[in-house]
Amino acid sequence: MSSAQNKIQKSMENIRATEEMKQNTLQYLETQRAKQGRGIFQWKPYTALRYVMAVICIFLLAGTGGYAVYSRPVSYISIDVNPSIELAINCFDRVVSAKGYNEDGQDILEHVSLKNISYQQAIDRLLQDAYYSRFLNQDSLLVVTVISGHSDAMLEQINANDSFQALGALTYSSDAACMDEAHQHEMSFGKYRAFLELAQYDTSITVEDCHSMTMGEIQDRIRTCQGHSGSKAVEKHSTQHANEHSGSHGHR
Amino acid sequence: MKSTEDVNRVMDAYADMVRRICFVHLKNRHDTEDVFQNVYMKYLLYEGSFASSEHEKAWFVRVTINACTDWLRALSRKKWVPLEVLSEERAVLNEPSNEVLETVLKLPEKYRDVIYLFYYEEYSAVEIAKILGKKENTVYTWLSRAKDILREKLGGEWS
Repeated sequence: MSSAQNKIQKSMENIRATEEMKQNTLQYLETQRAKQGRGIFQWKPYTALRYVMAVICIFLLAGTGGYAVYSRPVSYISIDVNPSIELAINCFDRVVSAKGYNEDGQDILEHVSLKNISYQQAIDRLLQDAYYSRFLNQDSLLVVTVISGHSDAMLEQINANDSFQALGALTYSSDAACMDEAHQHEMSFGKYRAFLELAQYDTSITVEDCHSMTMGEIQDRIRTCQGHSGSKAVEKHSTQHANEHSGSHGHR
Repeated sequence: MKSTEDVNRVMDAYADMVRRICFVHLKNRHDTEDVFQNVYMKYLLYEGSFASSEHEKAWFVRVTINACTDWLRALSRKKWVPLEVLSEERAVLNEPSNEVLETVLKLPEKYRDVIYLFYYEEYSAVEIAKILGKKENTVYTWLSRAKDILREKLGGEWS
């Protein structure tokens, strides 16, 4: 041992933990141990609760976000005969809302649930429904109008429906501006598109007139104005006109 | 959480060392007692295990130095310190043989640690470097400078 080491050790050898210091510390530690022991029963459930809350928050956020995405419509389908019904379609091609634009339309929606199913299923369910079928007769005309970023694909899907084809229905695409205008007149955009088409030929026609007309009557007027003749039943069975897919929305 | 047996064992084994390290850093008994308790509290709650008694001892050295540093840092943020406690802990210095200790305590804090660990606890510079988390060369430099100061103040053999 060097003399320096010896000096340092000698200078510090009297510095020791006193018995009082040790006992106080041991007593303090035992108190803390008891607190911690009790704390286990308090702390663990709270920790678990925190995790549960965190998971719930994540689910809520994901759920809210997911619901926001699910419930946001990206496409719209107007189904008009006399009853006018509009379906709002989300990005998963599911119907997120359905609205009747006249008394018959509202009446049907009270009898047929169209929400949270695909739009193909919704149209099929509607066409198969006995209550709705009352409006589908030889004199009536079913017109389906679509507003969508992929309206061609949607119309293709709709036209693939056998019942739809059998009815000789017409299909059109339209746009959001037409829908906004239609809604200002409390009219479905499908019917409003037909009104705009008729208004091209008959300037005397008004939206109010069209409110009380069926799609068959509007279509008959259009045909008449276009110089077509013959009954609508003949037109309906003409493959040339049936399931017509108009690329233009007819909106002015 | 460590058992009561473990706590009693390390109290017997390291209490004096912890007290000395506190003495090297702190100026009054109250602070020393608080830091002393803090160090053992950290041990009580320490979830890790020690590979050997050397490892355990080095843990106590490191934790005590850190606890003292933290305490002093917290103390420095206080606006005032009671006058009567300022030099209470250094009453031991009144003993005639403590000129050496007094000189050691006047060294800068980092030199005090290496001098204590090197001369009293007989750690090598390499071991001190590991405990303090410093480079070996840094420890060598600190030791050399501390010895120079001690040699200058006390004369004699400080190699």
